[in-house]
Amino acid sequence: MARLRSKVASLVTGCVVAVHLILLPALYFGVGYVIRKSHEDLFVQHARTFARILADEFEVGAALESAARTEDMLDLAIIHGESRYAELVERDRRIRSQLGPPDITAPKEPDLRFAHGGDDTYFIVLPVMHAGRSAELRLGFDERPTLARIQLALNRMQLLLGAYLCLAIIIASYLSNRLSRPIRRLQDVSRSIASGDYAQALHVDTPIRELHELAVDLEAMRRELVGVNDRLQEKIREKEASEARRDELQKQLRHRQRLETVGTLAGGIAHEFNNVLVPIILFTDTALQDLPPGSVSRSDLERVLASARRAKNIVQKILTFSHVLGDTKLAPIDLRSVVAEGIVLFSALAPSSIEIRTEIAEHVPLVRADAALAMDLVMNLCTNAYQAMQGTQGVLTVGLRVPPSAAAPSVELVVSDTGHGMEQAVVERIFEPFFTTRPVGQGTGLGLSVVHGIVESFGASIAVETAPEAGTTFRILFPAITEPARADTSLGSLEM
Amino acid sequence: MHSILVIDDEADVRDGMKRVLERAGFSVRIIDNATDALLELKREPANVVITDIIMPKLNGVDAIHRIVREFPSVRIVAISGGGNFDPSGYQPGSITTTAYLAAAEKAGAHHILTKPFESAELIDAVKRVIDAGHD
Repeated sequence: MARLRSKVASLVTGCVVAVHLILLPALYFGVGYVIRKSHEDLFVQHARTFARILADEFEVGAALESAARTEDMLDLAIIHGESRYAELVERDRRIRSQLGPPDITAPKEPDLRFAHGGDDTYFIVLPVMHAGRSAELRLGFDERPTLARIQLALNRMQLLLGAYLCLAIIIASYLSNRLSRPIRRLQDVSRSIASGDYAQALHVDTPIRELHELAVDLEAMRRELVGVNDRLQEKIREKEASEARRDELQKQLRHRQRLETVGTLAGGIAHEFNNVLVPIILFTDTALQDLPPGSVSRSDLERVLASARRAKNIVQKILTFSHVLGDTKLAPIDLRSVVAEGIVLFSALAPSSIEIRTEIAEHVPLVRADAALAMDLVMNLCTNAYQAMQGTQGVLTVGLRVPPSAAAPSVELVVSDTGHGMEQAVVERIFEPFFTTRPVGQGTGLGLSVVHGIVESFGASIAVETAPEAGTTFRILFPAITEPARADTSLGSLEM
Repeated sequence: MHSILVIDDEADVRDGMKRVLERAGFSVRIIDNATDALLELKREPANVVITDIIMPKLNGVDAIHRIVREFPSVRIVAISGGGNFDPSGYQPGSITTTAYLAAAEKAGAHHILTKPFESAELIDAVKRVIDAGHD
């Protein structure tokens, strides 16, 4: 592969300059030769003609009759001709007329070469025959005006060729720039595309057909790339979304399995506990009957009985979480009345540091639930929110609405607080029975497990949005009843 | 005096019930499994049988079926604690306690009681089935 060092513009300009540097000297020397030759020929022709005419004058006229006449004739040759030297030699007689430097002497032989001899003089020697006398006419013509004209012509030619070379370079650089500009544009856009910027459309304004067609082809390729890129991006997004969904489902599955395992364990323990509680309650009851009112032992046994009843209550809650209540009587209910009643009840218990806001929609569809358990659900969520804000001023918001973007008709119960929020690791365990972040003695860690059990028994779903120091929001999505039904608002089945 | 037969595999549970019911004036016999209980009923009849549901060997529901068939005059109270059980033990997907008690009721139990219960609830349940039997 050739070494890539040349740019189009410099390459074209360089070529033009190189071609001209070869051609122009050749042209200069060629044309110079022709100019010189023509001037020289003209000069020689002129000199010879003049010399011939002068020789004829000597032969025909009486110029040779006297030395004075001869001298006049030679002077005339100097004055009217272009000679700078005229001499007539007859045996030992020499008559000379001369202009210019006195050191010019005619050579013995005729100097018939232009610009030869270094004396700027062109010598012609002609024999003259007059009246039986034989003489030699020696004429010297001044070469300098002709040489000056030749030099002038050559100088002008140099100037012309120099100007031509400059113009050629200017035109060559202009044209090569015009040629390379669209190429550079194509190059810039190709680089942008290569670096991932597909947005830049490729429009090249060039009169050169090949470049125009190349630009059109590249633009078509760019559009195709944009399309392919968009499709790929879309596929990547779909893949990412599907992977995220799969991860989320796997996470939910793991969470569910964990809760089921805990539920299995809790249910087993609950059963054992119930069997243990039967004799405790029955024997204590019996023993109590034997003790006189006011006795210390009676008071102690009453406390045993009260503790056993508390234990019974806890076991019931565990069973709620484990979905083993089983006798949940689901009926169409209007959650609005349940939630409103729950808030009234909770308001009576909550301290004044908690501001309670309600955002209950005017109309929500009926849902299939147990009114008493739904009340438990609201109370447990409110209690949890209150505990999250304990010791601080906080806002508890309870909302009931039809979610705008749910896939199926549904009703959403939203309970949010402005409390301390939770870490993700905590969120993953909040529905486990006895999991609590609160100090010993503040809550059993069963409230949210009961919430989970109730939500499951209603066929509803629960979601948590939280971050440390950013409050917590629980969203419970109940499937709405689509067929017409009458609401059951009784709380008769509340037997926890 | 009405006689009661208590069937439960937990000794403390059946002893506790025996103590409460005897104080309430009933004659109480206790037994730890349903198979032996059927033999005991044959040997000496009882007015009321209180049986647990989830027990090894013969379970409470099957026992009730046989008592209803073999001793139609006996009044039956079914009792059970929490948890989901099937014959191999506790299973999350198995039938629930409530469903067991419902099955017991369907099999012919005259009253059902969820563990743990108070003395008064137990006595009340027994009196109710006896009274109902006299109607």
